[in-house]
Amino acid sequence: MNVTTEKILLEFDPETKNLLPVLKKISARFGHVAKEDAQKIADYFSLPLSEVFETASFYDLVKTQKDPPLVIQVCSGANCAIKSANRVIREIENQLHIKAGDMFNPKVKLEIISCLGQCGSGPVVVVNGNVFARVAPNDVDDILRNYV
Amino acid sequence: METEIKIITQNWGRINPQSIDEYIAAGGYQALFKFIKEMDPEIAVEEIKTSGLCGRGGAGFPTGLKLESVQKEKVTEKYFICNLDESEPGTYKDRMIAENDPHMLIEGIIIASLIVGAKKAFIYINGNYKKSAEILERAVGQAKQKVFLGPAILHSRYGLEIEIFEGAGAYICGEETALINSIEGKRGEPRMRPPFPTQSGLFGKPTAVNNAETIANIPWIIENGGAEFAKVGSKKSPGTKLFILDGAVKNRDVVEAPLGITLKELIDNYGGGIYAGKEFWFAQVGGSSGRLALEKDLEMKLEYDREAKIPLGSGAILVVDKMADIHELLLSWASFFRRESCGKCVPCREGTFRLWEIAKRLRDGEISDRDKAAIEDILWTLNNTTFCPLGKFAATAFGDALQYFPKEIYKLSK
Ligand SMILES: Cc1cc2nc3c(=O)[nH]c(=O)nc-3n(C[C@H](O)[C@H](O)[C@H](O)COP(=O)(O)O)c2cc1C
Ligand code: SF4
Ligand code: FES
Repeated sequence: MNVTTEKILLEFDPETKNLLPVLKKISARFGHVAKEDAQKIADYFSLPLSEVFETASFYDLVKTQKDPPLVIQVCSGANCAIKSANRVIREIENQLHIKAGDMFNPKVKLEIISCLGQCGSGPVVVVNGNVFARVAPNDVDDILRNYV
Repeated sequence: METEIKIITQNWGRINPQSIDEYIAAGGYQALFKFIKEMDPEIAVEEIKTSGLCGRGGAGFPTGLKLESVQKEKVTEKYFICNLDESEPGTYKDRMIAENDPHMLIEGIIIASLIVGAKKAFIYINGNYKKSAEILERAVGQAKQKVFLGPAILHSRYGLEIEIFEGAGAYICGEETALINSIEGKRGEPRMRPPFPTQSGLFGKPTAVNNAETIANIPWIIENGGAEFAKVGSKKSPGTKLFILDGAVKNRDVVEAPLGITLKELIDNYGGGIYAGKEFWFAQVGGSSGRLALEKDLEMKLEYDREAKIPLGSGAILVVDKMADIHELLLSWASFFRRESCGKCVPCREGTFRLWEIAKRLRDGEISDRDKAAIEDILWTLNNTTFCPLGKFAATAFGDALQYFPKEIYKLSK
């Protein structure tokens, strides 16, 4: 089915409590909230565009820029850090010749993220939304093989 | 430890969390029946005050007083919010409540909402907790079918609707005023207080915000009475607490223990002791915003106490052994707070950034005298001048570590 921004908007009443859910949904569906979509949202909620962007730009789960096709996230919360999450990060950097935090690579992004509440099974790595638990540097090769 | 009382975890692993009938068969929703048939909100709030229950979200504020102050507000539109944003590193106890016994939480939310006079309640849940949100959604549907929710709960004069609101990945939204802004569609930045949310909260209406674990205690208190609850655990803060044990302990898990237990007892009796071959160095109590407990602090009681040297916070306990690299921890703390600083106030926005840069240089052994001199300044500024407690949190463990382990921290630097 052809989901459009308009269709998503119509699932929600234009009340302020629905603004964040709408932004999340559009971001998840289209990869980010594009400027034209932000304008449609602003019109629908009768808000200035600036307010829509103020909210959109604040939250990690709402993207205002499209991500590259491969997004690797590694939790660096203390519980994962103490289980050598940093060695996992270095291994990924070496294998893919990238730097954590580099926003300008068009193919892949390696992101350090905050605790996901899966600390018991850390270190936790998320690749394009798929969660991998108890990741050791040795596992990186196997995990990445399916994506690159 | 089986003889010790279980309140929050009594049904974990014993009932199917997605079956309301199994929860009822285990004695569930009895507190709601009792509240509707025998009590009124004023009596119920007295029970909670008597119980001594205090907030499990970190600050330990007396729950009865908070509910009472919203109850006393003379407007018809009020809100109750269950705080399940849970993003403190090392903390996943509220997720376990939602996944193992969602109906206990929902029963608590219903009673607390009716006590304060709210007709609408929100569960603000961490945006990464997709599975837990689905479980809660299903549980809310089941409660509606049994008429535990809806316009006339059990055909009484009380009505309530529960809405699940999923967060969008921001630690600061666990702070109650930032959380409220977030539901209102704004940036999740903390608000100035007063006014307190209990007077002017969500949509400007009186609002009680409580942590999920706090709320899960309420059915037990209503059923067994506040006086009975006050007998459990510590005198200063009665009841039990969920602790999240991780690091160099054998049993890395969420456990329920009476408040007032010492750190040593917790590690030995619930954590199964220190992992074989490892040696205790220190423990961080309360997640990344918590203080560090040394060997000499092991006999310290874990309870909510304003004067406590080491506050309990969320109940996360990370046991660190002597092989651990302190630089990795410094960097983890600093990068967390830099990422999660909401940016509203300059001391925190800039201070957390500078601290993160210094943590990187510390790890790489590139620290300069200028950095060394700046650290004190940055920590002082974070501790004393930020708009909300996050700034202080950023300085807490970092400051403790510098004070206790300067040799280890500076060993790589000249
Ligand atoms: C930076 C920051 C983060 C917080 N995160 C949470 C959280 O994730 N969950 C929570 O229940 N309380 C959190 N709190 C505390 C809340 O502001 C609030 O005090 C609490 O939800 C009240 O509930 P309680 O009285 O039942 O503890 C946080 C506070 C601060 C300053
Ligand atoms: S202390 Fe940090 S998190 Fe709190 S308001 Fe200031 S910038 Fe935001
Ligand atoms: S610290 Fe990594 S999942 Fe919690």
